[in-house]
Amino acid sequence: MTHTLHRRGEEKSLKEDYIMLVMPAQGFNMEGSEEKLRKVFEIISHYKVVNFGNARNGNSHRTTLDRLIKADNRIAHAVFQDRENLLGCLRELKEKDLGISVVISGLYGSVVQCCQSLGLKPHTVEHSLGTRGAVEKLPRAGVMEIITMCGHAMVSPNLVESLVEEVRANKRTVEEASLELSRLCDCGIFNPPRAAKLMGKLL
Amino acid sequence: MKIDPKKCTNCGTCQPYCTVGAIAESGEGEVREVVEDECVECGVCLRADVCPVEAIYQQDLAWPRRVRQEFSNPLIRHPSTNIGGRGTEEMKTNDVTGRFQPGFAGVGLELGRPSIGTRFGDVQTMAQALASLGVQFEPQNPVTALMIDKRKGLLDPQILDEKALSAIIEFIIPLEKLEAVLGKIKEIAPKLKTVVTLDLISRVAEDGSIPTVAIAEGAGFTLRPNTKTNVGLGRPSK
Repeated sequence: MTHTLHRRGEEKSLKEDYIMLVMPAQGFNMEGSEEKLRKVFEIISHYKVVNFGNARNGNSHRTTLDRLIKADNRIAHAVFQDRENLLGCLRELKEKDLGISVVISGLYGSVVQCCQSLGLKPHTVEHSLGTRGAVEKLPRAGVMEIITMCGHAMVSPNLVESLVEEVRANKRTVEEASLELSRLCDCGIFNPPRAAKLMGKLL
Repeated sequence: MKIDPKKCTNCGTCQPYCTVGAIAESGEGEVREVVEDECVECGVCLRADVCPVEAIYQQDLAWPRRVRQEFSNPLIRHPSTNIGGRGTEEMKTNDVTGRFQPGFAGVGLELGRPSIGTRFGDVQTMAQALASLGVQFEPQNPVTALMIDKRKGLLDPQILDEKALSAIIEFIIPLEKLEAVLGKIKEIAPKLKTVVTLDLISRVAEDGSIPTVAIAEGAGFTLRPNTKTNVGLGRPSK
């Protein structure tokens, strides 16, 4: 549950972060979905995305869209940096009418606008109500904005801090550092350009 | 996870990659070692492939330690759900499954995320408190699968001291029970040694409204502006 939901940050930053997740349902439309998911990756390849993939076949650091279009997938992820490409991809998915569930994580107002412009009515919504309990143990806010882009928490806060030091010491650029973080997110939902911007603020 | 002391050169490259800070210098300060009780078996240090001498290796995991890996490494399929990750399909396929109906709310509590980790004892504390309100836990969820008494929210006692990167409690309740459930979560969360990240699922009404929003706000929760939205393109093939 929730692995794309709890991304943190200011709305200005979240405007550059939309995650699409396409998956069949076990026991309902899973059978024969492999071909449809290949089609989904083909559609995704028509648009500008900053990451993609799934845990089974790898993220954009380990595989390519060409390979995913030929692979057996059980889920498809893609990360968009702007609403225009998200909207285009969603429009094409609607036109192809594959019958597989599509979920968009991102600013709700923007997602609703995309849906409305395509004549879609949002079906179900999941809200984040934030984090409670021993919050004093959490990393500082700027680090949280970066690590929550991997919903399975594969990106360590200590690594973010360590890479910030390396950038300060001119051993890496923020772009290189953000790619090092992104490759650890197996599902391909991390947003490297956004991470680079956020790391820049930590310097 | 283990680090072979005969191979380790104590370069420290692996240390920041650990998701829960469980890699440290050994007592003698000659090598890095994995603090076994803190390691959640997520596998990141191994998959990162940064050790120059390949000293990191995955040992055989017996029960109950194996539960750490099942809840922490998303590349491992849960025996109970047959999907990777820590939860279920939840609302992602709701336009096909109809799992969440109007008049009901889906609630998910993820303990330990991000980067703190959780002992299953804390998971049980929260589950027991919710069970006292008559909550029925999601049967396909991996935490529910570890319960020896679902009515009371009791977990297998063998796993209570085990630590995972996170574990998710899931359930569906009628909207009229939501306020009480959110109140109970607020009461219990400060008593835990870890963090609880909370999410709330609702069908969107015909007029575009979301019935859970006012209830959550009334209970003192602030909803974040980013959500997960199922846009309704799925349908059953049967």
